[in-house]
Amino acid sequence: MVVGEISQQRNLIIIGGGPGGYSAAIRGAQLGLSVTLIEQADLGGVCLNKGCIPSKIFTHAATKRSETKHLQDLGIGNGDDAFYVNKLLTYKDKVIAGLRAGVESLCKENQIEVISGKATFLGVDRIGVENGHQFDIFEFEQVIIATGSTPMMPLGLKEKGERILLSHEIFEIEEIPPHLIVNGQDYIALEVASSFAALGSKVTILFDDKGDTFDESINKELNRLFKRRKITVYKDVQLISTNETESEIAITFTNKNVEETITGSHFFLTGIRTPNVEPLGIKRIGIVQSDEGFIQVDGNMQTSIPSIYAIGDVTEGSLMAIKAIKQGKAAVEAIAGRKPEVDLTFLPIVAHTIPPIVSVGLTEQNARNFGMEVRVSQFPLAGNGYASITGKKDGFIKVIADSTTEIISGIHMIGEGAIEMSGTFVQLLEMAAKEEDVKFPLYAHPGFSEGLLEAVEGLIGQAIHIAPSKKKTLLKV
Amino acid sequence: MLEVKLHDIGEGMTEGEIIHYLVKVGDSVSTDQPLVEVQTDKMIAELTSPCSGIVKQIIIEAGETVKVGTSLIYIEAHDAVRTEQKTQPERNQNVKKQDFQSNEQVKKSSQNTFSRILAAPYTRKIARENNINLEDVQATDPSGKVTEEDVYRFLKGQKTEKESVKIVPQVTSTKETPDEIPFKGIRKKIAEKMTKSLFTIPHVTHFDEVNMTNLFKMREDLKASGESIGVSAFLIKALVISLKDFPIFNAELDEVNSRILLKKNYHIGLATNTESGLIVPVLHDADKKSIKDIHKEVKGLTERAIAGKLQPFEMQNSTFTVSNVGPLGSTGATPIINYPETALIAFHKTKKRPIVNNHDEIVIGHIMTLSMAFDHRVADGATAVAFTNRFASLIEQPHKLIMEMI
Repeated sequence: MVVGEISQQRNLIIIGGGPGGYSAAIRGAQLGLSVTLIEQADLGGVCLNKGCIPSKIFTHAATKRSETKHLQDLGIGNGDDAFYVNKLLTYKDKVIAGLRAGVESLCKENQIEVISGKATFLGVDRIGVENGHQFDIFEFEQVIIATGSTPMMPLGLKEKGERILLSHEIFEIEEIPPHLIVNGQDYIALEVASSFAALGSKVTILFDDKGDTFDESINKELNRLFKRRKITVYKDVQLISTNETESEIAITFTNKNVEETITGSHFFLTGIRTPNVEPLGIKRIGIVQSDEGFIQVDGNMQTSIPSIYAIGDVTEGSLMAIKAIKQGKAAVEAIAGRKPEVDLTFLPIVAHTIPPIVSVGLTEQNARNFGMEVRVSQFPLAGNGYASITGKKDGFIKVIADSTTEIISGIHMIGEGAIEMSGTFVQLLEMAAKEEDVKFPLYAHPGFSEGLLEAVEGLIGQAIHIAPSKKKTLLKV
Repeated sequence: MLEVKLHDIGEGMTEGEIIHYLVKVGDSVSTDQPLVEVQTDKMIAELTSPCSGIVKQIIIEAGETVKVGTSLIYIEAHDAVRTEQKTQPERNQNVKKQDFQSNEQVKKSSQNTFSRILAAPYTRKIARENNINLEDVQATDPSGKVTEEDVYRFLKGQKTEKESVKIVPQVTSTKETPDEIPFKGIRKKIAEKMTKSLFTIPHVTHFDEVNMTNLFKMREDLKASGESIGVSAFLIKALVISLKDFPIFNAELDEVNSRILLKKNYHIGLATNTESGLIVPVLHDADKKSIKDIHKEVKGLTERAIAGKLQPFEMQNSTFTVSNVGPLGSTGATPIINYPETALIAFHKTKKRPIVNNHDEIVIGHIMTLSMAFDHRVADGATAVAFTNRFASLIEQPHKLIMEMI
C-alpha cells in the first residue's frame, strides 16, 4: 500500500452506503450538494443485504405458510404446505438484488459518486480510501459517518460454533432447524421464533429479564399465541453457557434462579451490537465516543468535531433503519443550512410476528409510572368484521389517552394489519391528536382500521362491538 | 447566558409594568432569588432567578410596560452550558467544539418524565425556522397543545415589540393642558369588569337596617375575656349561613347552556380599597371556617391586598362578594355585582340611633344599613328580602350563630 501524496478535493463525503448513508446522499444531491459515497461492500448495507429485507422475506413466507389451513377453508388448494427453503433463498436473493440495483441506479441518476473501498481518517479534514492495492486520499468539507454496527456474541459467551446463529446469519441458513432455541426479548428474537415455528421448526424461546419491549397486555397475548403454536416459552432466563457437539447444541441457563439445560439443533441469539468504528481511526482525531464506542452527536448529528457528522447505528440510541434514514436526511439538511429536527419519541417498535405487533408512544405502565391521569381501552379484533372475513381474529388494539386533555399518548396493536396501521398511529401521536380526531373521520368498512376507531370509542365505553358488561371490565383495566 | 423573561404569572396576563429591580448588573444571584417586581393589572409580583449566576445585563428599564415573553435580564449561569448556534460550517476544523453535548446525554438527563412536544410537525417546523422555542409559546388550547396560530401570534408579538416606536406627546405651552392619568392597569381592568357587569345584569338594589347592639355587646364580652374579633368576621359568618338557606344568591347564571349553577363552595370576595384601586381578595371555603379563622384570614388578605402582594389564587373563584364600606362612612349605595356572581352586599356605617324596643320604649341602638344588589334574571325581590331578613336576625340575635356551628 502506497500512501499517495496528492489528495483529491471533495465537498461532502458519506462513509457507508446503508439506508442512512444512501438516503443522506440522495437528499444531499436533491439539495444541490456534491456528494461522494464510500461503501466497502454492497450498497444497501446491513438493512438491505443482511437485516431488515432478508428477515422480512422469512417472516412473509412464514405468514403465508401459516395461512394454508385458512386457504383450504376458502376452497383454495388441498392443504399441502410443503416448504422448500432453497427456493425461498433464491427468492430472497432475487428481491435483494432487485432492491440493490434500485439503490445503485438512484445514486447514479442523482449523480452521486460511489467509491468502493475502506475509509480511514487521516486527519480532521481528510480520509484515505483503500481498495485492494489502491489508496486514495480525499480532502472534504464535511463528512458523515454512517458505518453501522455488527452483531456480536453477548459478553460472557465467547465460543461461537456453527450451531450458534446471529442476526446476520440466520436468514442465510440452508436447512430449517429441527429445533431452534431462541434467546432475546427484542423484535428480532420474536420474529425469528415466530417465523421458524411457522416454517416447521420446533421452537423454544428464552426470554431474558431485561424488561419489556411492549405493553404488558401485548406480552401476555403474544405468550398465549406462542403457546398455542406449541412454542415453548421460558421467562426470566439468564444464559450461563453453551455446549456445541457435532449434532446438537446444549444451552445452560437459570430460569427463575433454577439452573436448567436444554438441547436443540441450533441456537439463535440477538446478542449485542458493536459500532463499526475501529477501522475508521476516529479515536486518533478525538471524536467523542460513549463507553461502548458509539459516536456521540448533537441535535444536528454533528460530532464533537464540527466538520464530522455521524448517523444511524454508529451513534448512540436505538439500532433501527428508520432512525438512520431520518438522521441521514437531517445531517445533510443541517449541512445545507436548513433547520432539521429528529425526534424519536414516537419511533414505532415493530415486530413481524404472526400476528404482527406495533407499539407507539407510552405503554400503560409507563404512563402510570410518570404519574399521568390516563384512560385505557382495548378493542379485541374478534369484534372486527374484517378480521372475521380474513380469519385473523387474534389480537387487539389498545389506546392510552390523557383523561383530562383527551390527547392520545400511546397506541399498541397485536394483530393483522398492524404494520400498515402503524402509519396512522404515529401520525396521530405526532399531531398530538385528541380522541375526537379519531372518532370524527370515516373508516373503510369492513376494514381493520375500524378497530382503531372502536378502541378510541371504548375509552368512554362507547365501542359498538363490545358487549356492555365487558366494556365495564375493560374500562377498569 | 440565560434570559429571564416576563412570563404569565396567572389570570392570563398579557403585559406588565416593571416597577423595580431588586438586583443590579454584576450582582451574584442564587436560584429562586427575587430579581424584579412587576405590576400586572391585578397585583405586584416578583420574578425569581431560574438559576444561580451573575446578572450580566438589565434589558428593560424600570417604569416600562412590556408584553409577556419579553426578556428582562440576562444572567450568566454558574455552570452554564453554552449553546450558541453555528450558522455556517466552520472552515477551521482543528477547533474542537468546547460546548459539545450529545443528544443522548440531553435525553438521559430527562428520562424521568415523558417529554413530549404537544404540537403537530408543521407547527414545530414554523417555530424551528423562526428560532422560537415552543416552550415559550403560550397555547390557546387548555390541553397545552400549541397550534400554528399560537406560533404566528407569538411571532407577531415579537415583531410589534421590535417595531413599536414611542410617541412623545406634543406639549404646547400656550394652551393649558389637562393633567393626564394613564388609563391602564387595575383602573382599566375595573372599568372593563364594571361595564360588563352593568351591561349584562339587570341590577336591583334594596336597603335594610340591622340592629348591631347585641353583637357589639357580645364583642365587648369577648374582648373582656381576651378575644378580639372584628365585626366583619361575624358578618361574613352570618352571610354564609344565610347563603346556605338561600343558595340562589351563591349562584351563577350560565346563559349559554340555559341553566343556573348553584355553587357548592362559599368563596367570599372581599372588595378592598387600595392605593391603586379596587381589589377583591377571596376568602375561600368560608363555610368551613370558624369566626376566629375568618377574622384572621380576612386580616391577612386585606393586608396583602393593600401591599399588592396577593397570590393569583387568592383573587380567584369568588361566589359572592361583600363590600364593607362602613369604616369609610355612607348610609346606602347601588353597588355593581361582581360579574358573573348573582349578588353583592355592601355594609355601611353603623350609627347610634333612637329605636323603639320590645317594651315600646325609645332607647339608643347601634344601627347599620346595608345595600343588597342582585341579578333580577336569577332571583326576585321577595327572595332577596327574605335573605336579608335571615341575615339580620342572625346578627341581631348573635347567640343564634352558635346554633349553626359545625
